[in-house]
Amino acid sequence: MRSVSLARRVALVAAGIAALVGVIFATALIAMLSLRRADTRESHSKDVTVATLRVRAVAADLDSALRGYVLSGNRRFLALFNTSRAKVPRETNRLRTLVRNDRPQQLRADRAARELNGYLTDYALNVIVIAKIARSAAQGPAAGTEDKRRTDEIRGTLNDLLAVEDSRARAASSHARAITNVAVWVGVVALAVSTALVLLFGAWVAREVARPVRRLAAAAADVAAGDLGIRLEEGGAAEVGALVSAFNSMTRSLELGRRELLVQNERLREGERHKRDLISMVSHELRTPLASVLGFTALLLERDFPPDEQRRYLEIIDGQARRLATLAGDFLDVQLLDGGALMLVRTPFDLVELVREQVQLFFLQLTSHGLAIDVPESPLVVDGDRDRMSQVVGNLLSNAIKYSPEGGEVRVAVRQDGTDVVVAVSDDGVGIRTEDVEQIFEKFFRSAEAIKTVGGTGLGLAVAREIVASHGGSLEVESTPGVGSTFVVTVPLHAPSLTTDPGVGDFAWRGGQLS
Amino acid sequence: MTSAARDPRPHVLVVDDEAPLRELIVVTLGEAFRCEEAEDGETALARLGEAPPDLVFLDVMLPGCSGIDVLREMRADPALRDVAVVVVSAWQGPEDVEAALESGANRFLAKPFRVDELASVARDLVERQE
Repeated sequence: MRSVSLARRVALVAAGIAALVGVIFATALIAMLSLRRADTRESHSKDVTVATLRVRAVAADLDSALRGYVLSGNRRFLALFNTSRAKVPRETNRLRTLVRNDRPQQLRADRAARELNGYLTDYALNVIVIAKIARSAAQGPAAGTEDKRRTDEIRGTLNDLLAVEDSRARAASSHARAITNVAVWVGVVALAVSTALVLLFGAWVAREVARPVRRLAAAAADVAAGDLGIRLEEGGAAEVGALVSAFNSMTRSLELGRRELLVQNERLREGERHKRDLISMVSHELRTPLASVLGFTALLLERDFPPDEQRRYLEIIDGQARRLATLAGDFLDVQLLDGGALMLVRTPFDLVELVREQVQLFFLQLTSHGLAIDVPESPLVVDGDRDRMSQVVGNLLSNAIKYSPEGGEVRVAVRQDGTDVVVAVSDDGVGIRTEDVEQIFEKFFRSAEAIKTVGGTGLGLAVAREIVASHGGSLEVESTPGVGSTFVVTVPLHAPSLTTDPGVGDFAWRGGQLS
Repeated sequence: MTSAARDPRPHVLVVDDEAPLRELIVVTLGEAFRCEEAEDGETALARLGEAPPDLVFLDVMLPGCSGIDVLREMRADPALRDVAVVVVSAWQGPEDVEAALESGANRFLAKPFRVDELASVARDLVERQE
């Protein structure tokens, strides 16, 4: 039922009502026709009755005239007889013509005519002849008996005819009445059914069409007011149901679109925030060393200091200027990484030696942090850009110092793992929150703690990971917040057979056990 | 402490996590001031608790609690409420200056600062107190 369309339902109901109206009209028409037929029949019966009565009157006139003549001999009665006799053919014929389409009545009319003619020819004329000769003979009891028999016979026949005609008329009218009754009943029932049909259909339209449409209109107003979470109960007549599901999918996609917009908006805002943070960070990272460089330069220019102090301040200026240069280099690296144009100068070198160098560089004068170093005696040669790898190890060492409290211990370990060399740098620092672990290698990313407490560009680890990756290695981190972090660099060992560089042989010979 | 207490020079606390910056401020102020250094907020608050100085140079971005936090704590402490504070920050946004002044800073110096300006600000604030 649900699948039948609204248009089809309306058409069906309209067709049903039209059929019922047709039935009403047809029965009314039939009733009218039968009434008219009964009417015609009745007037015909009246004609027949009149004609029959006239025949009866003629027969009665003939009999009276005959009897008058026989009793009185008066010729006036004879004249009356003759006048009436002349009427006989006309009256009988009229009757026969009227009943010619009604076989039994025609037979009765014929019989009445025959009996009347028989009365005239076989009896009345003979009686007149006898009466003319001897009136008393004609008055005999035999004649009287014969007269009564014959006139009774004629009257009986005509009365039969009258009775039949009367019953015919009555039957026709009662038939017409019956048909009219039926027509009235059919009309009443059909009217009731079509009224019920219209009412039911109206109720159905109200329930299945009007109500869902009203709900839809209210929901559309809600949507216009901004409530996109609204959903209507699916259902209703076919087209209305389709409208409701179309509305639901519309609001669903609108809501989806809005959510996407919100997400996009949030992302844009985040990008904006990120940009602001970045500018602040760059500003801070530049201004801090710049303040030292400008400040000490101004002091050196304005005041006279003993030579050892001059030297100390110049060293500070040198260090801070280098810091600025490194910063500029980091930005340049990121630029290069973004363009994928990081150039590596590949030569085989000993990673153990490189780590020792970097550790010395960072820890020789450092008193704030302890150091535990665990490196093998023999070299572990890798193939790559020595300066870039120094940058990576330096970055990890500086982070370990920067992000751990004074007095903390930094542990550096180098070991061979299969065909790889592993460098691990651990600290007892602040650690990295789980949700930040994936992001610390993103360029410019700085954790909330780092932003608040420690300077930095958020570039070091991004650049380091990129450098390690371009050496065919990986840079990973394991960290427990509040306990410390371990950064692990894994790069493949140099494979001597794959290169013709004579320097490699030298390395292998010096290492003595590289195989 | 006893020798410090007898020292007639104005007492200055320099708070900055960058050693070169601390040294720059100390050298700039020269022999006319008795300088003490702190490299983070906790240390600064500990030094302040020992002996209220005449003047504090306070960096904003410090490990642990920020310079603004230190400043607020000082202003909430009756013993430190009137100590002159110069906030020194690399952040130059108007909202940073506003935050510093609203939290009770006497002056705001943006990095990089001019050394002569720093020196004159220090003299100014100390003289005003006297």
